[in-house]
Amino acid sequence: MSIMSYNGSAIVAMRGKNCVAIASDRRFGIQAQTVSMERQKIFEMAPRLYIGLSGLGTDVQTVANRLKFRLNLYTLRENRNIKPKTFMSMVANLLYERRFGPYFTEPVIAGLDPKTFEPFICNLDLIGCPMVTDDFVVAGTCTEQLYGMCESLWQPRLDDLFETISQALLNAVDRDAVSGWGVIVHVIEKDKITTKTLKARMD
Amino acid sequence: MALEQICGLNLHQHIDGFPDKSLQSMNISLLNDDPLQDSKFTLPPVAEPAEYLSQLAKRDGGPKIRFLHGTTTLGFKFEHGVIIAVDSRATAGPYIASQTVKKVIEINPYLLGTMAGGAADCSFWERVLAEQCRIYELRNKERISVAAASKLLANILYNYKGMGLSVGTMIAGWDKRGPGLYYVDSDGTRCTDRLFSVGSGSPYAYGVLDTGYKYEMTVEEAYDLGQRAIYHATHRDAYSGGVVNLYHMQETGWVKVSQTDVKDLHYRYQEEKGQA
Amino acid sequence: MSSAPLVAPPSSGGFVFENVRRNALLERNGLKGPTARKTGTTIAGIVFKDGIILGADTRATEDTIVADKNCSKIHFIAPNIYCCGAGTAADTEMTTQMISSNLELHRLSTGKEVRVVTANRMLKQMLFRYQGYVGAALVLGGVDINGPHLYSIYPHGSTNKLPYCTMGSGSLAAMSVFEDRYKQDMEEEDAKKLVRDAIAAGIFNDLGSGTNIDLCVIKKGKVDYLRPYDEANVKGVRQGDYSYKRGTTAVLTKMVTPLSLDVIDTTVEVMEVS
Repeated sequence: MSIMSYNGSAIVAMRGKNCVAIASDRRFGIQAQTVSMERQKIFEMAPRLYIGLSGLGTDVQTVANRLKFRLNLYTLRENRNIKPKTFMSMVANLLYERRFGPYFTEPVIAGLDPKTFEPFICNLDLIGCPMVTDDFVVAGTCTEQLYGMCESLWQPRLDDLFETISQALLNAVDRDAVSGWGVIVHVIEKDKITTKTLKARMD
Repeated sequence: MALEQICGLNLHQHIDGFPDKSLQSMNISLLNDDPLQDSKFTLPPVAEPAEYLSQLAKRDGGPKIRFLHGTTTLGFKFEHGVIIAVDSRATAGPYIASQTVKKVIEINPYLLGTMAGGAADCSFWERVLAEQCRIYELRNKERISVAAASKLLANILYNYKGMGLSVGTMIAGWDKRGPGLYYVDSDGTRCTDRLFSVGSGSPYAYGVLDTGYKYEMTVEEAYDLGQRAIYHATHRDAYSGGVVNLYHMQETGWVKVSQTDVKDLHYRYQEEKGQA
Repeated sequence: MSSAPLVAPPSSGGFVFENVRRNALLERNGLKGPTARKTGTTIAGIVFKDGIILGADTRATEDTIVADKNCSKIHFIAPNIYCCGAGTAADTEMTTQMISSNLELHRLSTGKEVRVVTANRMLKQMLFRYQGYVGAALVLGGVDINGPHLYSIYPHGSTNKLPYCTMGSGSLAAMSVFEDRYKQDMEEEDAKKLVRDAIAAGIFNDLGSGTNIDLCVIKKGKVDYLRPYDEANVKGVRQGDYSYKRGTTAVLTKMVTPLSLDVIDTTVEVMEVS
């Protein structure tokens, strides 16, 4: 049993035309036992900036709080919203500081640039190696399944990003025992955030 | 073996690496590769096979042969016979290998067995049991009792105790004494009761079962109870899921009642809760 | 200020070891730790007539999964120095960033263009300090006042100054190409071809390396960062269309949060009223 699959999680982010989407499952379990089906794994950091944290539940919450703390200091000092790429460096630094005693969480970041509204997605490994892509990023206990779904569903300039990301995640978690139990999707556009919870298998 | 002796052939010498003595001491028939001849596998040629195999099972890094470790199965007796209900998920680690496994083994028209533990171990030895039951019928001109059938299986499993078999099964049937329900596992346990649940999801199933169980239930109530108990287990247990397969053992033999996706059950129950 | 802060301020630098004991305990209790992203890599560099050429593949792996098909492994150190990284991806990334930043401070205090030897010494001293636990294997190259220099740096801190070198899991395949065809004072085009072929050998013969070939040509006062120089594996075009029709996914709840758009700039044009 790996520490990363102790609580179970699945997160995916995708880039579309002038928008990004980020989705996660909603299970919090202790190994085989499902404890909660309304677990928050995606956190709002700024108006158009979201971070999804997969991995060990305790570290997910610690990292989310520490990041929010650092981000608040940044926003107060700079008096402006952070750029997604700058935020990525902030996350990378927080995680790399603990290079030899890491937090067991792999973050996924999705957001729009506060000025240009340029879509941005990236993920980091648990010691903070950033990876920026222009298609999709995944994290959690069913990355194999998610990579398979995303590689076949994703296309450049997607305008119906919601269906694509939803089906990718729903079908991926159906092949993973320790994630699922509901899905939440955030679609981030420059003028609005659309948050939906999906009808999913509850086993 | 007889042919071998008539021909003056000593087959044992042709097998390299197997010392003659250990082969004889384990009574393995080399000419006949049917392991069911005397319901025995070929055991490893060591002095203490059980000890050797248990060490082997503990070893890390080897190929994972364990399949279908998580399961929820249940069975209970009531006024109108026996209900058997099972889930249908097979997992290999956290990966869901299948959502459509048949975990009820139809041994013959009057006997059912359930599957928990190793899938291969269960299906193989319950097939051996089916064969033995048929032979019993031919020899004695009457059907085997549930008690005898379950004891046959328990005895086979006891012979392999400690060698790594993984079986947790319920044998349900109907015989001269009426409905029968036995629990048999690879430790050699065999016992009978009104109500059993086996597998990783069994604590959840017991919770529902014990709350709703009455011996004097209507058939419809019993079907609903079985289905609900499996659904609630699949809901909380990561290693159970898929569909609920429901069987009813009657005086005339078993019938398969239903096969229902737990996703449909979940949203149906949610709706009922909303209305109440 | 006498009141103690409620929350510890962000640490002032250096590694933090607060989780080490907890993580060791988790691992003792039979929970396996995950693996960090690696760049099972082919990186190489050569000295040619006018300078240095660095080359790298673009695959990053997490165990058996290709995590990134087009990652950048040639890192910026200084305007005249670049560095290829192999090993633990976070370590190569952070180590080169750190050294780059320190070299810039060095340049500001000396007022001179930084030298490759300086970068090399800073890197090896840092890596030696961490006794190989910072898993970065580097190929450092650049052109300074003393001409072109190429170094290979190992995770434990040892370095070699060489005319041609390779690193990473595909280093053997790449080196076999160099050993066969490297000559002193090669022309730029020939040298680029040679590095391309060396990286390609790594891509095709080492499972940890793949996708594209990046090159970085450093000459006196000029850098050509070619990304990609060559696409060794062109992805095929998908034949079918797997997209879902709108409305396929069943939705339980929906919430829309409108966002206000900040006014960045206002211009008022006065209407002419004559």
